[in-house]
Amino acid sequence: MAVKAIGEYRFPSRSRQELYGDDQLVSVWFADNPWWCAAAMFRAPQAMTWGDFWTQMVVPYAEEDPDWKADAAYSFSLWGVPLTPRPDQTLAELGIEHKDVIALRAA
Amino acid sequence: MSDTTLSAAQRLVGVDIQESETNRAVVEAIEADNPDCSVQHMPGLVRITCPGRLVVNRETVEERLGREWETHEFQMAIVTYFGHIKEWDDDEIVIAWNH
Amino acid sequence: MTIAPDASRSASKKTRKLPMKQRYQALTRDLDWEPSYVDPKDMFPYTEFEGIKIHDWSKWEDPFRLTVDAYAKYQAEKDKRLYAVLDGFAQGQGHLSLTDASYLNTMKLFLQGVTPLEYQAHRNFAYLARHLAGPGPRFAALCQSIDEIRHAQTEIHTLSNYNKYYSGLHNYLQQHDRVWYLSVPKSFFDDALSAGPFEFLIAIGFSFEYLLTNLLFVPFMSGASFNGDLPTMTFGFSAQSDESRHMTLGLEAIKFLLEQDEDNVPIVQEWIDKWFWRGYRVTGLVAQMLDYMLPRKVMSWKEAFELYFEQQMMQGLFQDLAFYGITPPRHVEQALSEKEILSHQVYWVLYQFSHAAAFTTSVPDDEHMAWLSATYPDTFDKYFRPLWEKERRNIAAGGRHFVRGLPQLCQVCQIPMTFTEPGDPTTIAQRVSVYEGEKFNTCSDGCQWIFEREPEKYVQAWLPVHQIYQGNCGGPTLPDVLAWYGLQDGDSGEHKGSRDDLNWQRWHAQTPTGLGAEGEQ
Repeated sequence: MAVKAIGEYRFPSRSRQELYGDDQLVSVWFADNPWWCAAAMFRAPQAMTWGDFWTQMVVPYAEEDPDWKADAAYSFSLWGVPLTPRPDQTLAELGIEHKDVIALRAA
Repeated sequence: MSDTTLSAAQRLVGVDIQESETNRAVVEAIEADNPDCSVQHMPGLVRITCPGRLVVNRETVEERLGREWETHEFQMAIVTYFGHIKEWDDDEIVIAWNH
Repeated sequence: MTIAPDASRSASKKTRKLPMKQRYQALTRDLDWEPSYVDPKDMFPYTEFEGIKIHDWSKWEDPFRLTVDAYAKYQAEKDKRLYAVLDGFAQGQGHLSLTDASYLNTMKLFLQGVTPLEYQAHRNFAYLARHLAGPGPRFAALCQSIDEIRHAQTEIHTLSNYNKYYSGLHNYLQQHDRVWYLSVPKSFFDDALSAGPFEFLIAIGFSFEYLLTNLLFVPFMSGASFNGDLPTMTFGFSAQSDESRHMTLGLEAIKFLLEQDEDNVPIVQEWIDKWFWRGYRVTGLVAQMLDYMLPRKVMSWKEAFELYFEQQMMQGLFQDLAFYGITPPRHVEQALSEKEILSHQVYWVLYQFSHAAAFTTSVPDDEHMAWLSATYPDTFDKYFRPLWEKERRNIAAGGRHFVRGLPQLCQVCQIPMTFTEPGDPTTIAQRVSVYEGEKFNTCSDGCQWIFEREPEKYVQAWLPVHQIYQGNCGGPTLPDVLAWYGLQDGDSGEHKGSRDDLNWQRWHAQTPTGLGAEGEQ
């Protein structure tokens, strides 16, 4: 159902990918850890490797949890589909798109 | 959860009134005119509920207050209510459900 | 004033004045006119585009039968009473008689989050007072418009008394427009302001004022009463007395629309569905206020929800509206099922992001936790106590849980995506919709339904996290953003050891001869 309006009603998204240049927004959802009230959202280059994303973004965020272990085994999924990233793959190569949510669980 | 068979005459209506010197007379008047009502004191306010219908009579309030009281003055007392304001004229205010 | 009843006096008064019904009739009908040289459609251009059909505006009744003289008389009296209390407060060092400095966190949230909405309501009701095509609703909207600006002003005046002594109250207008958690109430109201006149009436007049206002205001005011905040209690009750009139306008509006044309029923139902959920999400802020922020508890969120929503609305109002074919709001079952988890989840969010807020938070103490266990026997010990125990260990080890980053937000309610799957308080709900090739995240079936119903509207949402990442909020670092938020030292973070906490302890440790603390020992 469309908005009922007094004139034409069409405006661009205020968070479309192009507003972030070569970057995109990616959320990491610590699905089995209630310490985090919500998934973390990052702005990351599409060409960033998983290894860099992990060490430069996820770990500095996650280590605020006193029980977090960066070197533990984790499993990942993207909208319910298992994801097995290699450190050298880029986010784009992994099929991670703007405003995707990567779910992370202790393996 | 709710009992869907209750009629408009059975479902509770109610009003919350600010606790004050003048309003004590208003609360007493409501209690006198609505024998089925129940009164609950909460911080700063008095909550009165009745099955089906709650009436505020000008004359009863005036008797207790010892002075003239116009029904508009009820605006100084009311904090909130539930139900429908079915009547508000010079002599009475009635809160009830319609259907 | 006590005047003995005097038969001759009241008799003469009655001959002088028309009865209420006739006075109201004279004001709202006899002063109206049919335009003769202007097409009514040009005079009232906004009453048709939403699809609502009105056949007879004269069928609108205002049960309050308010007239200009009565309105002015009683509003003036309400203001006099309030300002008498404010004078007494200032003269009597009222800022020292609260239960605790942390109580004011509720009022910081209120001033930042709610007061600006009163002003916005004033604007939109002024618009309705011009643009509704019937004189009855126009006058009711005019009164409400004046009420709303009175509320904004009296709230600002009242709370300015605390601003002299406490943090977090100095910059609420700028913060309302900028700070992440305040985008929740702001975007809610902007959504209503940008709708047509009838949707606004259902959104604010009915869903907010009638369905949810008791949940929003009465707990704040009772909380003030219970925590030694006399001025807030007084402005609150003063505003609430107007609120009763607003509730009546909302209920009258919905009945009027439903009775005017059967085609209005499905339109109104969808608005109820949408606006119940929008409003309900905003009341999450009230839920945590009741259960966590008030030093002395009035009632739990669960009790407030059962009393003001389940009993009064589900068992009262919606039985009445069933006559018109209106059903309880879509997704109401989820709201009911969340009543024992909502406040805990929302406070957990505010707690870990309070370094970026204009209020302070703290871990509940033992007594508070015992109250939470007793009040929420099925949920607190199982799901939430372990988090607080862990945080206590964290604090003992020198930590304090402040998130080092930004949360994912819901595209519709704009709350960090903390809410869980129905029936499973351990799994955060993730919903995603694709519109024109772009993904949009929502926190619940309710918010997703609202997004998908009008995606063109919600793609424009000003989401604080996304705006920070676009570089629109002062700069890339946290200090940049906090400066842009207008936060100052003492506004944010942990309450224990905060400026307000230290001042409070100092003021109450003073000897009876201490400055400004006479009689407080």
